[in-house]
Amino acid sequence: MRAITLCYRKIIDANATKLWDKLVFEASYMEFKMQAQNYTTGTTFTNYADLLRHVNNAQAIVGMVTPAVSGYVQQLNNIVPDLLNNVGKRFLKFHRFQFEIINSDILDKTKHQVAINFYSEPLVWHDTVENFLLVSDQKPASNTDDELLSNLFQLQPYVNIHTIKNIR
Amino acid sequence: MERKNFLKSLMVGAVSTSVLVDACKKDTTSPTTTTSTSTSTSTGTTSGCSVIETETEGPYPTHTPASYVRSDITDGRTGYKLTVNITVNNSNNSCNALSGALVDIWHCDAEGNYSEYGGSGSQATNYTTVHFLRGRQTTNANGLVTYTSIFPGWYTGRATHIHVHVYNSAGTSLKVTQIAFPEGTGTALAAVAGYTKGMSGYTYNATDGVFSDGYALELATITGSTTAGFVLAISMSVPA
Repeated sequence: MRAITLCYRKIIDANATKLWDKLVFEASYMEFKMQAQNYTTGTTFTNYADLLRHVNNAQAIVGMVTPAVSGYVQQLNNIVPDLLNNVGKRFLKFHRFQFEIINSDILDKTKHQVAINFYSEPLVWHDTVENFLLVSDQKPASNTDDELLSNLFQLQPYVNIHTIKNIR
Repeated sequence: MERKNFLKSLMVGAVSTSVLVDACKKDTTSPTTTTSTSTSTSTGTTSGCSVIETETEGPYPTHTPASYVRSDITDGRTGYKLTVNITVNNSNNSCNALSGALVDIWHCDAEGNYSEYGGSGSQATNYTTVHFLRGRQTTNANGLVTYTSIFPGWYTGRATHIHVHVYNSAGTSLKVTQIAFPEGTGTALAAVAGYTKGMSGYTYNATDGVFSDGYALELATITGSTTAGFVLAISMSVPA
């Protein structure tokens, strides 16, 4: 058996349709615009890539924008969005996330594209059934004969096995 | 059967699965919809089992302001209480009060340290991380914003100061500036005396790199005492 953690990189841009995604899009753009202006003053740069390339300390912007989305992440109650098990329910627990700015421009909201990387809690990968992984929450020192609650789910785009470890 | 194949062809390689998911959601409430289907998938290309989304998105998402938006920015930092009152007026409108402006302030703690706000270098950001001594308020009809904080300390090379960034309601920058503190006998600065650090090596406004070119407009009025707490007031004009 192996213990794994998953990373789901949820990309949000101007095409977002779900309410939560739209709220994150709007809030992160507003905050990006506000924070980036601390770095664009006196320059002609307006887009994020140029700021990173040419302006000292502009890499701090992403950390300054994160508090605009953290309230929305908290609303998820530590369950990764979008990823469903085979009965159609969200099941994957997380306690860590990393906000990422992929692209943006203080003058052009349509250029704004961000990602939230959700890092799952450790799972035990028991078996693979057709296209599905059979996993359970990893619990410390549990008796291997104990019955466990498990989930069947399918790997999908933007989901990576982030860490892996052989366990007995 | 043809219909199924058509739907499958839509799903192969489809990135916008949420559209399909939404269509499926509708099924449960409006079975007569023309897009109704008995099969769906959240992932697409594989044969066999198909998963439909059978529950809501969870807690209904609600508008949540950035965690900078709060009046008390102390976050457990210790020091003498400081109430900060900033009044903003519009130099392009007869100096009348500017309402609805967003005002960010940030300053260092009693030891002269700012909250670390990086996050970019770390593996992952824990959302419980707080950004102490940083806050955002929106000016009221009188152009006033109020924060509760602590009297700032100081660090080498700078006079005591508070950073201020004023934006219009759309987030467009109107002014980046700093608030300077009065100096000399009887002032709050003298009463606080740099906390445990003392005032040895302190940079006064006259030799400060930011304020030395003149700071009359940036100088606040400060009343109060170390026991009762201090109240800082400043009025600033910005072009809006």
